[in-house]
Amino acid sequence: MKPEEIRSLFPALTQTVYGKPLVYLDNAATAQRPASVLEKERALASTANANIHRAVHKLAVDATEEYERTRDIVKDFLNAGSREEIVFTSGTTMSINLVASCFGEAFVQEGDEIIVSVAEHHSNIVPWQLLCQRKKATLKVLDIDEFGGLQVDTLEKMISQRTKIIAISHISNVLGLVNPVREIIRIAHGHDIPVLVDGAQGSIHEEVDVQEMDCDFYAFSGHKVYGATGTGVLYGKKKWLDAMPPYMGGGEMIETVRFSGTTFAPVPGKFEAGTQNFNAVPTLQEALRLARQFQQDPEVAQNEWAITHYLMETLSADSRIRMVGVPRGTQVKIPLFSFSVEGVHHEDLALILDKMGVAVRSGQMCAEPLMDRCGVTGMLRASFAPYNTLEEAETFVKCLNKAISMLI
Amino acid sequence: MTLEEKKQAVIEEFSMYDEWLDKYEYLIELGKALEAYPEEEKTEDKLIKGCQSRVWLDYELKDGKLYFRADSDAIITKGIISLLISVYSGRTPEEIAADDFGFVNEIGLRENLSPTRANGLVSMIETIKNAAREAAVIPSEAMESPDSHVGQRPPQNDNAQVLSAEDVAALQPLYADVILALKQVYDPEIPVNIYDLGLIYELNIDKERKVSIVMTFTAPNCPMADEVMHEVEDSVKRVPGVTGCHIELTFEPVWDRSMLSEEARVDLGLDYEEDDYGKLS
Repeated sequence: MKPEEIRSLFPALTQTVYGKPLVYLDNAATAQRPASVLEKERALASTANANIHRAVHKLAVDATEEYERTRDIVKDFLNAGSREEIVFTSGTTMSINLVASCFGEAFVQEGDEIIVSVAEHHSNIVPWQLLCQRKKATLKVLDIDEFGGLQVDTLEKMISQRTKIIAISHISNVLGLVNPVREIIRIAHGHDIPVLVDGAQGSIHEEVDVQEMDCDFYAFSGHKVYGATGTGVLYGKKKWLDAMPPYMGGGEMIETVRFSGTTFAPVPGKFEAGTQNFNAVPTLQEALRLARQFQQDPEVAQNEWAITHYLMETLSADSRIRMVGVPRGTQVKIPLFSFSVEGVHHEDLALILDKMGVAVRSGQMCAEPLMDRCGVTGMLRASFAPYNTLEEAETFVKCLNKAISMLI
Repeated sequence: MTLEEKKQAVIEEFSMYDEWLDKYEYLIELGKALEAYPEEEKTEDKLIKGCQSRVWLDYELKDGKLYFRADSDAIITKGIISLLISVYSGRTPEEIAADDFGFVNEIGLRENLSPTRANGLVSMIETIKNAAREAAVIPSEAMESPDSHVGQRPPQNDNAQVLSAEDVAALQPLYADVILALKQVYDPEIPVNIYDLGLIYELNIDKERKVSIVMTFTAPNCPMADEVMHEVEDSVKRVPGVTGCHIELTFEPVWDRSMLSEEARVDLGLDYEEDDYGKLS
C-alpha cells in the first residue's frame, strides 16, 4: 500500500493544527489508530460489555471469546510456542515491572547482578533498580560506542557467576538502531542467563519470532502498534512463567481460595489478576493484523527506506546537526531520528515546529542516562510510521531549517 | 510607567501579532536581548523547579524595590522570563505581591504554550511572587494570626470603609446589586455561592462605578479558579450601572471555615460549636 492509502485508514491524520495540516512525527511515543481499531473498541463497549471469564451469560461469553481470541492472535504475531506464554498487561512498562518483580522474587538474591544497556528507556532501567534495591543486587550497564551501537564485545566480560538476567531493548527509542539481540541472547544463554527484550519499538518495525530469537521474555505496548492505549503484552517462556510467583493478588488469578492457603491459576491467568482491559485488548486483533501487513508490504518498506535515506543524507549533511544512532555495516536503522542542533535548545525547536503543524518529541525521551552519555540535556526526535510520506519528511526539514534560522 | 501602564503596553505589543510564529519571534528577540547572567551564579538554589528547560532567577532589593535577573538555556523561555522581568523589575515588593499576573493570560501565553511550558511559566510567576512576599514589609504577625488579618483585609461588607460616607450612600444600591450578582456564582465543589462562602475578601466600587474585587478560593491550585473568576467577572459586569470589573486573586489570608456566612453554615448543616472547632482545620 502507498502511504496515501494507509493514511486514509487513520482519521486523526486528516486534521489541521493551528490552521496547518498535521504532520505527525511522534510515532515512537504513540501511533495513531485506524478507524477499524477505534470502531472495534466502540463496538465492544456498546454490545459486548461484560466482565470476562466469570459469568455464564451471553455478553460475558462474547467478551471472553474476543479477549481469548486476541491471545491466539498475539501468539501467532510473536510466533510463541503456546498461548499460555502470552500475558496481557497494561503496556511495556507493566510487562517489564512484572518480570523484575516476579522473576526477581524467585531468582535474584543479595549480591547477584543484572545487566541493562545505557541506551534503555527508563521503563527498562527503573524496575531493575528497584529490584536491586530490594534484593541488594547490583545493576551493571552495557555501554554504547560513539555511533550508538551496543558494545556487545564487552558483554562476555561483564557476565559473572552472579549475573541473573539481561534486559535489553530490541530497538532503542532514541537511537533507532536494531540491536543485535540474537547475539546477546546467544552469549547470555551460553551462561544459562535469561534475556528480556524490550520490544516497545521492535514490535512495530520487526517481524518478531520469539522462538527463533530465543528470548526468554518479550514485552511490547498495544498503543505503539496502532492498538488501544492501556494494552500490552508480556511473552515469557513457560518454564520461567511457571517458576515465577504471581504479580498481584486478586480475582481471576486464583484456583482455590482458603484462609489456610490459596492455590493459583495456571499461567497466564496467574499474572492477570483483577478485571482485565477487555474492551481494549481485542483491538490488538486488527492492530496486529495491520502491523504485520505493513511489515510485509514492499511498498511500505520502499517508502520507509526513501524517508530514512533522505533524512540521513540531509541531516548528516547539516554541520549544525549532531545525530545519534548512525548505522554501520549491515545494521538496520528504523525511520527514527534523534539529534541535537548546535546552539539551539531542543524545546524551542519543538515549540516552533508545533506551531507549524509538525509534531515531534523533545527532551530526554525517557532515557536520561543515554542523554548524559551523549553529553546533552535533551534532543529532538522525529519518528515516522508507514502513513508518513516523503513529502512530510521534506516539510519537516523545511520547517526545521526555518525554526533554526529563527533561533540562531 | 506604572505597573498597570506597563502591562497594558505589553498587551498592546502582543496584540500586534496575529501569528504565533511572530509572537515567538518577538519572544526570541526579548530573550536574546536579556542582560547577561553570570555563569557562576547558575546555582541549584536559583534554578526554578517545574520548567522543562532550565531557568535561573535571582533578585535583589535596592531602595525598597525588587530587581530581577534571569537566564534560561532555551531562548523562548528566556524571552518569557525577560518579559516578566521587564514588567516587574523595579517595582516595590508590595506592588508585586498584590498583583494577579492576569496579563499573562491576556497575551495568551499561558494557553498557547505547551502544558509543560505552562507549568514552567507558573513556576516562574510563583518564584517572582515569593520573592516579593519575602521582601515585602508586611508585619508577619498580621499574616499568621487569624484575628489580626481580619483587620488588615476585612472580609465582606465591611469594605465600605475605603470610601467616604457620601460615596457609600450614593453607591449603596449598586453594592447590593453587585452582591446579588456575586451570589449567583457557585463554588464548583461546595453547593454554596462564593459570597456566602466568604471567598470575597474585598469589594470596592469607585466613583466611576468600576468594581474591584479581591477574592480567594477554598484551596490554592483550585483547577477551576480561572473559570470561576471569569464567571464572577461576567456576572458583575452584567449588573446595570457597573462600568468595569477587576478581580484580584489572593491567598492571604488563607480561607477557612470561620469565613462562612451564617446562611452558608445553615446550608451546609454546620452548627456553631462544630464550626468553632472546624475553624482551626
